[in-house]
Amino acid sequence: MNCEEFAMAGLDLGDGKADGPLQQAAREHLLLCSHCASLHENWQALRGDLRELGAETSEAETPSRVEMRLRQEFRTKHKTMRSYRVAAFAGWGLAAAAVLLGTFSWVNWKIEKNRLLTRNGSLPAANISQTASVNAAASHVAWAGPELGETLMASNGSGDFTLLPGTMPGTLDDAMVVRVQMQRSVLGTLGLTVNQERATDWIQVDLLVGDDGQPQAVRLPESTN
Amino acid sequence: MQIDLQERDDVLLRRSAKGDEDAFAVLYRRHQASIYRFALRMTGNPWAAEEIVQDVFMTVVRDPKKYDAKRGTLGAFLYGVARNRVMKHRERMPRETPLEDKNGDVGEETLARITDHRTPAHWAEFGERREHVRAAVLELPVEFREAIVLCELEELSYEEAAKALDCPIGTIRSRLHRGRALLLAKLEILRDVPKRAGAGR
Repeated sequence: MNCEEFAMAGLDLGDGKADGPLQQAAREHLLLCSHCASLHENWQALRGDLRELGAETSEAETPSRVEMRLRQEFRTKHKTMRSYRVAAFAGWGLAAAAVLLGTFSWVNWKIEKNRLLTRNGSLPAANISQTASVNAAASHVAWAGPELGETLMASNGSGDFTLLPGTMPGTLDDAMVVRVQMQRSVLGTLGLTVNQERATDWIQVDLLVGDDGQPQAVRLPESTN
Repeated sequence: MQIDLQERDDVLLRRSAKGDEDAFAVLYRRHQASIYRFALRMTGNPWAAEEIVQDVFMTVVRDPKKYDAKRGTLGAFLYGVARNRVMKHRERMPRETPLEDKNGDVGEETLARITDHRTPAHWAEFGERREHVRAAVLELPVEFREAIVLCELEELSYEEAAKALDCPIGTIRSRLHRGRALLLAKLEILRDVPKRAGAGR
Protein backbone atom coordinates (compact mmCIF):
# COMPACT_ATOMS: atom_id res chain seq x y z
CA MET A 1 0.00 0.00 0.00
CA ASN A 2 1.32 3.43 -0.86
CA CYS A 3 0.50 6.80 0.76
CA GLU A 4 -2.26 7.64 -1.71
CA GLU A 5 -4.00 4.31 -1.14
CA PHE A 6 -3.60 4.75 2.58
CA ALA A 7 -5.22 8.19 2.45
CA MET A 8 -8.12 6.70 0.51
CA ALA A 9 -8.75 3.56 2.54
CA GLY A 10 -6.40 3.43 5.50
CA LEU A 11 -8.14 6.11 7.53
CA ASP A 12 -10.94 3.64 8.24
CA LEU A 13 -8.44 1.46 10.08
CA GLY A 14 -9.91 0.11 13.30
CA ASP A 15 -13.51 1.08 12.73
CA GLY A 16 -14.44 -2.10 10.92
CA LYS A 17 -15.33 -0.37 7.67
CA ALA A 18 -12.23 -1.62 5.85
CA ASP A 19 -11.93 -5.33 5.15
CA GLY A 20 -9.28 -7.70 6.59
CA PRO A 21 -6.47 -7.71 4.00
CA LEU A 22 -6.82 -3.95 3.48
CA GLN A 23 -6.51 -3.32 7.22
CA GLN A 24 -3.42 -5.51 7.40
CA ALA A 25 -1.82 -3.61 4.52
CA ALA A 26 -2.69 -0.27 6.12
CA ARG A 27 -1.15 -1.32 9.44
CA GLU A 28 2.03 -2.36 7.70
CA HIS A 29 2.16 0.95 5.85
CA LEU A 30 1.70 2.87 9.10
CA LEU A 31 4.80 1.22 10.55
CA LEU A 32 6.86 2.26 7.57
CA CYS A 33 5.52 5.79 6.81
CA SER A 34 5.74 8.51 9.47
CA HIS A 35 3.75 10.98 7.35
CA CYS A 36 0.80 8.60 7.12
CA ALA A 37 1.19 7.71 10.80
CA SER A 38 0.84 11.40 11.64
CA LEU A 39 -2.12 11.73 9.27
CA HIS A 40 -3.75 8.73 10.90
CA GLU A 41 -3.17 10.13 14.36
CA ASN A 42 -4.66 13.48 13.40
CA TRP A 43 -7.60 11.81 11.79
CA GLN A 44 -8.29 9.67 14.85
CA ALA A 45 -8.27 12.81 17.02
CA LEU A 46 -10.59 14.57 14.61
CA ARG A 47 -12.84 11.53 14.42
CA GLY A 48 -13.10 11.63 18.20
CA ASP A 49 -14.24 15.25 17.97
CA LEU A 50 -16.72 14.38 15.25
CA ARG A 51 -18.13 11.54 17.30
CA GLU A 52 -18.55 13.90 20.24
CA LEU A 53 -20.27 16.35 17.97
CA GLY A 54 -22.49 13.56 16.72
CA ALA A 55 -23.23 12.36 20.24
CA GLU A 56 -24.30 15.87 21.14
CA THR A 57 -27.27 15.58 18.80
CA SER A 58 -27.67 11.81 18.70
CA GLU A 59 -30.87 11.96 20.73
CA ALA A 60 -32.21 15.02 18.95
CA GLU A 61 -35.76 14.68 17.72
CA THR A 62 -38.19 16.94 15.96
CA PRO A 63 -40.26 18.98 18.44
CA SER A 64 -43.72 17.54 18.97
CA ARG A 65 -45.36 20.66 17.55
CA VAL A 66 -44.20 19.58 14.09
CA GLU A 67 -46.12 16.32 14.41
CA MET A 68 -49.19 18.24 15.55
CA ARG A 69 -48.93 20.59 12.58
CA LEU A 70 -48.48 17.70 10.16
CA ARG A 71 -51.42 15.79 11.61
CA GLN A 72 -53.56 18.91 11.28
CA GLU A 73 -52.49 19.26 7.66
CA PHE A 74 -53.18 15.57 7.10
CA ARG A 75 -56.72 15.88 8.50
CA THR A 76 -57.43 19.03 6.52
CA LYS A 77 -56.24 17.45 3.29
CA HIS A 78 -58.22 14.24 3.69
CA LYS A 79 -61.32 16.03 4.95
CA THR A 80 -61.20 18.24 1.87
CA MET A 81 -60.74 15.22 -0.37
CA ARG A 82 -63.66 13.45 1.30
CA SER A 83 -65.88 16.51 0.83
CA TYR A 84 -64.78 16.75 -2.78
CA ARG A 85 -65.61 13.09 -3.38
CA VAL A 86 -69.04 13.48 -1.77
CA ALA A 87 -69.73 16.61 -3.83
CA ALA A 88 -68.60 14.90 -7.04
CA PHE A 89 -70.72 11.84 -6.28
CA ALA A 90 -73.76 14.01 -5.51
CA GLY A 91 -73.21 16.03 -8.69
CA TRP A 92 -73.07 12.94 -10.89
CA GLY A 93 -76.09 11.50 -9.10
CA LEU A 94 -78.10 14.66 -9.73
CA ALA A 95 -77.05 14.75 -13.36
CA ALA A 96 -78.08 11.13 -13.85
CA ALA A 97 -81.41 11.78 -12.14
CA ALA A 98 -82.02 14.81 -14.40
CA VAL A 99 -81.30 12.76 -17.52
CA LEU A 100 -83.61 9.96 -16.33
CA LEU A 101 -86.36 12.43 -15.51
CA GLY A 102 -85.96 14.11 -18.90
CA THR A 103 -86.13 10.81 -20.75
CA PHE A 104 -89.14 9.68 -18.76
CA SER A 105 -90.95 12.99 -19.39
CA TRP A 106 -90.23 12.86 -23.11
CA VAL A 107 -91.43 9.29 -23.46
CA ASN A 108 -94.52 10.13 -21.45
CA TRP A 109 -95.21 13.16 -23.62
CA LYS A 110 -94.88 11.12 -26.78
CA ILE A 111 -97.24 8.43 -25.51
CA GLU A 112 -99.77 11.05 -24.37
CA LYS A 113 -99.58 12.84 -27.73
CA ASN A 114 -100.18 9.66 -29.69
CA ARG A 115 -103.08 8.74 -27.40
CA LEU A 116 -104.69 12.17 -27.98
CA LEU A 117 -104.29 11.94 -31.72
CA THR A 118 -105.73 8.48 -31.75
CA ARG A 119 -108.76 9.67 -29.78
CA ASN A 120 -109.37 12.74 -32.00
CA GLY A 121 -108.90 10.99 -35.29
CA SER A 122 -110.77 7.79 -34.40
CA LEU A 123 -108.02 6.03 -36.25
CA PRO A 124 -104.90 4.20 -35.14
CA ALA A 125 -102.05 6.64 -34.67
CA ALA A 126 -99.94 4.87 -37.26
CA ASN A 127 -102.50 5.49 -39.96
CA ILE A 128 -102.81 9.19 -39.18
CA SER A 129 -99.27 10.06 -39.97
CA GLN A 130 -99.10 8.08 -43.11
CA THR A 131 -100.05 9.30 -46.53
CA ALA A 132 -103.57 8.70 -47.56
CA SER A 133 -104.61 7.35 -50.83
CA VAL A 134 -107.03 9.38 -52.89
CA ASN A 135 -109.26 6.63 -54.04
CA ALA A 136 -112.96 6.56 -54.51
CA ALA A 137 -114.82 7.05 -51.24
CA ALA A 138 -112.12 6.65 -48.65
CA SER A 139 -111.97 9.18 -45.87
CA HIS A 140 -108.77 10.86 -44.86
CA VAL A 141 -107.59 13.03 -42.06
CA ALA A 142 -105.29 15.99 -42.48
CA TRP A 143 -104.19 18.94 -40.39
CA ALA A 144 -104.87 22.44 -41.54
CA GLY A 145 -102.02 23.88 -39.56
CA PRO A 146 -101.72 25.36 -36.10
CA GLU A 147 -103.30 28.67 -37.15
CA LEU A 148 -106.70 27.04 -37.28
CA GLY A 149 -106.40 25.56 -33.82
CA GLU A 150 -108.54 22.57 -34.72
CA THR A 151 -108.34 19.42 -36.78
CA LEU A 152 -110.21 19.72 -40.07
CA MET A 153 -111.81 16.77 -41.70
CA ALA A 154 -111.82 16.50 -45.51
CA SER A 155 -113.37 14.14 -47.91
CA ASN A 156 -113.61 13.88 -51.65
CA GLY A 157 -117.04 12.49 -51.60
CA SER A 158 -118.84 15.11 -53.68
CA GLY A 159 -116.64 17.37 -55.77
CA ASP A 160 -113.72 16.52 -57.99
CA PHE A 161 -110.27 17.97 -57.70
CA THR A 162 -109.03 20.38 -60.32
CA LEU A 163 -105.56 19.52 -61.49
CA LEU A 164 -103.13 22.36 -61.16
CA PRO A 165 -101.30 23.36 -64.34
CA GLY A 166 -98.38 21.03 -65.10
CA THR A 167 -99.65 18.08 -63.04
CA MET A 168 -99.87 14.66 -64.63
CA PRO A 169 -103.02 12.71 -63.71
CA GLY A 170 -101.11 9.47 -63.05
CA THR A 171 -99.07 10.93 -60.15
CA LEU A 172 -102.04 11.37 -57.81
CA ASP A 173 -102.25 7.78 -56.55
CA ASP A 174 -100.47 8.36 -53.24
CA ALA A 175 -101.35 11.98 -52.74
CA MET A 176 -102.81 13.31 -49.49
CA VAL A 177 -105.76 15.63 -49.00
CA VAL A 178 -104.99 18.65 -46.87
CA ARG A 179 -107.57 21.21 -45.94
CA VAL A 180 -106.11 24.69 -45.52
CA GLN A 181 -107.46 28.16 -44.96
CA MET A 182 -106.01 30.81 -47.23
CA GLN A 183 -106.80 34.06 -48.95
CA ARG A 184 -108.36 33.62 -52.31
CA SER A 185 -105.50 35.53 -53.97
CA VAL A 186 -103.14 32.67 -53.11
CA LEU A 187 -104.94 30.53 -55.66
CA GLY A 188 -103.31 32.78 -58.25
CA THR A 189 -99.87 31.50 -57.24
CA LEU A 190 -101.14 27.96 -57.90
CA GLY A 191 -101.96 28.94 -61.46
CA LEU A 192 -105.73 29.39 -61.03
CA THR A 193 -107.82 32.37 -62.06
CA VAL A 194 -108.88 34.60 -59.17
CA ASN A 195 -111.78 37.01 -58.97
CA GLN A 196 -109.97 40.20 -57.98
CA GLU A 197 -112.98 41.66 -56.20
CA ARG A 198 -112.99 38.83 -53.72
CA ALA A 199 -109.19 38.33 -53.61
CA THR A 200 -108.89 39.18 -49.93
CA ASP A 201 -111.58 36.73 -48.80
CA TRP A 202 -110.57 33.84 -46.58
CA ILE A 203 -111.58 30.49 -48.01
CA GLN A 204 -111.12 26.85 -47.09
CA VAL A 205 -109.44 24.82 -49.80
CA ASP A 206 -108.68 21.11 -50.09
CA LEU A 207 -105.25 20.57 -51.60
CA LEU A 208 -104.06 17.30 -52.97
CA VAL A 209 -100.41 17.15 -51.92
CA GLY A 210 -98.09 14.78 -53.69
CA ASP A 211 -95.11 12.76 -52.41
CA ASP A 212 -92.82 15.69 -53.12
CA GLY A 213 -94.87 17.96 -50.83
CA GLN A 214 -96.10 20.07 -53.74
CA PRO A 215 -99.84 20.67 -54.30
CA GLN A 216 -101.03 18.69 -57.31
CA ALA A 217 -104.74 19.51 -57.40
CA VAL A 218 -107.19 21.76 -55.66
CA ARG A 219 -110.84 21.52 -54.65
CA LEU A 220 -112.99 24.35 -53.44
CA PRO A 221 -115.75 23.21 -51.12
CA GLU A 222 -119.16 24.27 -52.41
CA SER A 223 -119.76 26.85 -49.69
CA THR A 224 -116.68 28.84 -50.72
CA ASN A 225 -117.20 28.77 -54.47
CA MET B 1 -57.64 0.60 12.67
CA GLN B 2 -54.74 -1.38 14.21
CA ILE B 3 -51.25 -0.59 12.98
CA ASP B 4 -48.49 -3.14 13.12
CA LEU B 5 -45.36 -1.24 14.10
CA GLN B 6 -43.29 -3.55 11.90
CA GLU B 7 -45.48 -2.79 8.89
CA ARG B 8 -43.43 -1.96 5.80
CA ASP B 9 -42.99 1.68 4.85
CA ASP B 10 -44.68 1.36 1.47
CA VAL B 11 -47.70 -0.35 3.04
CA LEU B 12 -47.96 2.41 5.62
CA LEU B 13 -47.60 5.04 2.93
CA ARG B 14 -50.41 3.49 0.89
CA ARG B 15 -52.65 3.47 3.92
CA SER B 16 -51.65 7.01 4.74
CA ALA B 17 -52.50 8.11 1.20
CA LYS B 18 -55.99 6.68 1.69
CA GLY B 19 -56.47 8.85 4.76
CA ASP B 20 -55.24 6.57 7.59
CA GLU B 21 -53.80 9.07 10.05
CA ASP B 22 -52.39 6.40 12.38
CA ALA B 23 -50.38 4.93 9.51
CA PHE B 24 -48.99 8.37 8.78
CA ALA B 25 -48.11 8.87 12.45
CA VAL B 26 -46.19 5.57 12.56
CA LEU B 27 -44.37 6.53 9.39
CA TYR B 28 -43.51 9.94 10.78
CA ARG B 29 -42.25 8.63 14.10
CA ARG B 30 -40.15 6.03 12.34
CA HIS B 31 -38.25 8.53 10.20
CA GLN B 32 -38.49 11.95 11.80
CA ALA B 33 -35.48 11.64 14.11
CA SER B 34 -32.97 10.63 11.45
CA ILE B 35 -34.21 13.30 9.05
CA TYR B 36 -34.13 15.91 11.80
CA ARG B 37 -30.58 15.01 12.85
CA PHE B 38 -29.45 15.03 9.25
CA ALA B 39 -31.00 18.45 8.69
CA LEU B 40 -29.66 19.76 11.99
CA ARG B 41 -26.13 18.63 11.24
CA MET B 42 -26.28 19.89 7.70
CA THR B 43 -27.61 23.32 8.60
CA GLY B 44 -26.39 23.69 12.18
CA ASN B 45 -29.70 25.38 12.89
CA PRO B 46 -32.50 23.71 14.92
CA TRP B 47 -35.13 26.06 13.57
CA ALA B 48 -34.17 25.32 9.97
CA ALA B 49 -34.00 21.59 10.73
CA GLU B 50 -37.53 21.70 12.14
CA GLU B 51 -38.76 23.48 9.05
CA ILE B 52 -37.03 20.98 6.79
CA VAL B 53 -38.59 18.00 8.58
CA GLN B 54 -41.98 19.65 8.29
CA ASP B 55 -41.46 20.26 4.56
CA VAL B 56 -40.30 16.69 3.98
CA PHE B 57 -43.34 15.13 5.63
CA MET B 58 -45.65 17.71 4.10
CA THR B 59 -44.53 16.27 0.75
CA VAL B 60 -45.58 12.83 1.99
CA VAL B 61 -48.97 14.20 3.07
CA ARG B 62 -49.69 16.22 -0.04
CA ASP B 63 -48.21 14.09 -2.75
CA PRO B 64 -47.51 10.52 -1.58
CA LYS B 65 -47.37 9.35 -5.22
CA LYS B 66 -44.03 11.08 -5.58
CA TYR B 67 -42.46 8.11 -3.84
CA ASP B 68 -41.82 5.17 -6.14
CA ALA B 69 -41.01 1.99 -4.22
CA LYS B 70 -39.15 0.62 -7.26
CA ARG B 71 -36.55 3.38 -7.04
CA GLY B 72 -35.50 2.79 -3.44
CA THR B 73 -36.53 2.82 0.18
CA LEU B 74 -38.78 5.45 1.66
CA GLY B 75 -35.92 6.46 3.96
CA ALA B 76 -33.74 7.24 0.94
CA PHE B 77 -36.59 9.16 -0.64
CA LEU B 78 -37.05 11.23 2.51
CA TYR B 79 -33.30 11.90 2.70
CA GLY B 80 -33.44 13.02 -0.92
CA VAL B 81 -36.27 15.47 -0.22
CA ALA B 82 -34.43 16.65 2.90
CA ARG B 83 -31.26 17.25 0.85
CA ASN B 84 -33.21 19.43 -1.59
CA ARG B 85 -34.64 21.41 1.29
CA VAL B 86 -31.16 21.81 2.78
CA MET B 87 -29.95 23.19 -0.54
CA LYS B 88 -32.83 25.64 -0.63
CA HIS B 89 -32.07 26.63 2.92
CA ARG B 90 -28.47 27.31 1.94
CA GLU B 91 -29.61 29.51 -0.91
CA ARG B 92 -31.62 31.75 1.32
CA MET B 93 -29.42 31.38 4.41
CA PRO B 94 -27.61 34.71 4.09
CA ARG B 95 -30.97 36.47 4.34
CA GLU B 96 -32.02 34.69 7.52
CA THR B 97 -30.62 34.78 11.03
CA PRO B 98 -31.93 32.29 13.59
CA LEU B 99 -33.41 33.84 16.71
CA GLU B 100 -32.01 31.10 18.93
CA ASP B 101 -28.74 29.28 18.40
CA LYS B 102 -29.03 26.67 21.08
CA ASN B 103 -31.51 23.90 21.54
CA GLY B 104 -32.88 22.56 24.82
CA ASP B 105 -29.85 20.40 25.69
CA VAL B 106 -27.89 23.25 27.23
CA GLY B 107 -29.15 22.50 30.72
CA GLU B 108 -27.94 18.92 30.61
CA GLU B 109 -24.58 20.00 29.28
CA THR B 110 -24.14 22.53 32.07
CA LEU B 111 -25.09 19.91 34.64
CA ALA B 112 -22.53 17.52 33.17
CA ARG B 113 -19.86 20.18 33.49
CA ILE B 114 -20.70 20.84 37.13
CA THR B 115 -20.45 17.18 38.08
CA ASP B 116 -17.30 16.74 36.00
CA HIS B 117 -14.01 17.17 37.88
CA ARG B 118 -12.09 18.62 34.95
CA THR B 119 -11.00 22.24 35.13
CA PRO B 120 -12.84 25.22 33.59
CA ALA B 121 -9.82 25.73 31.33
CA HIS B 122 -10.33 22.24 29.98
CA TRP B 123 -14.00 22.92 29.34
CA ALA B 124 -13.20 26.19 27.66
CA GLU B 125 -10.71 24.48 25.38
CA PHE B 126 -13.10 21.59 24.77
CA GLY B 127 -15.95 23.93 23.91
CA GLU B 128 -13.77 26.01 21.64
CA ARG B 129 -12.47 22.97 19.81
CA ARG B 130 -15.94 21.58 19.35
CA GLU B 131 -17.14 24.87 17.95
CA HIS B 132 -14.23 24.87 15.51
CA VAL B 133 -15.07 21.33 14.40
CA ARG B 134 -18.75 22.22 14.03
CA ALA B 135 -17.87 25.30 11.98
CA ALA B 136 -15.43 23.32 9.83
CA VAL B 137 -18.11 20.70 9.09
CA LEU B 138 -20.64 23.38 8.19
CA GLU B 139 -18.16 25.03 5.86
CA LEU B 140 -17.61 21.87 3.82
CA PRO B 141 -19.21 21.75 0.36
CA VAL B 142 -22.60 20.10 0.60
CA GLU B 143 -21.77 16.78 -1.04
CA PHE B 144 -18.74 16.24 1.22
CA ARG B 145 -20.65 17.44 4.25
CA GLU B 146 -23.41 14.92 3.55
CA ALA B 147 -20.90 12.10 3.47
CA ILE B 148 -19.21 13.27 6.69
CA VAL B 149 -22.53 13.79 8.47
CA LEU B 150 -23.88 10.37 7.53
CA CYS B 151 -20.72 8.30 7.93
CA GLU B 152 -18.96 10.06 10.81
CA LEU B 153 -21.65 11.82 12.82
CA GLU B 154 -24.60 9.54 12.13
CA GLU B 155 -22.16 6.57 11.95
CA LEU B 156 -23.94 4.87 9.08
CA SER B 157 -22.11 2.23 7.05
CA TYR B 158 -21.03 3.13 3.52
CA GLU B 159 -23.86 0.99 2.14
CA GLU B 160 -26.45 2.74 4.27
CA ALA B 161 -25.09 6.16 3.34
CA ALA B 162 -25.08 5.22 -0.34
CA LYS B 163 -28.72 4.14 -0.08
CA ALA B 164 -29.66 7.30 1.76
CA LEU B 165 -28.00 9.52 -0.80
CA ASP B 166 -29.01 7.30 -3.71
CA CYS B 167 -25.50 7.01 -5.11
CA PRO B 168 -22.85 4.26 -5.50
CA ILE B 169 -20.64 3.28 -2.58
CA GLY B 170 -17.60 4.39 -4.55
CA THR B 171 -19.00 7.91 -4.65
CA ILE B 172 -19.46 7.87 -0.89
CA ARG B 173 -15.87 6.69 -0.39
CA SER B 174 -14.46 9.38 -2.62
CA ARG B 175 -16.59 12.14 -1.10
CA LEU B 176 -15.65 10.96 2.35
CA HIS B 177 -11.98 10.95 1.43
CA ARG B 178 -12.12 14.49 0.11
CA GLY B 179 -14.28 15.64 2.98
CA ARG B 180 -11.85 14.25 5.52
CA ALA B 181 -8.92 15.86 3.73
CA LEU B 182 -10.69 19.23 3.72
CA LEU B 183 -11.62 18.89 7.39
CA LEU B 184 -8.06 18.00 8.34
CA ALA B 185 -6.76 20.95 6.35
CA LYS B 186 -9.19 23.32 8.03
CA LEU B 187 -8.46 22.05 11.53
CA GLU B 188 -4.73 21.58 11.10
CA ILE B 189 -4.12 25.09 12.47
CA LEU B 190 -6.25 24.36 15.51
CA ARG B 191 -4.34 21.16 16.26
CA ASP B 192 -0.98 22.83 15.87
CA VAL B 193 -1.76 25.68 18.26
CA PRO B 194 -1.29 23.80 21.56
CA LYS B 195 1.86 22.09 20.25
CA ARG B 196 3.41 25.38 19.24
CA ALA B 197 2.33 27.00 22.52
CA GLY B 198 3.90 24.09 24.43
CA ALA B 199 7.08 24.37 22.43
CA GLY B 200 7.30 28.05 23.15
CA ARG B 201 7.32 27.57 26.95
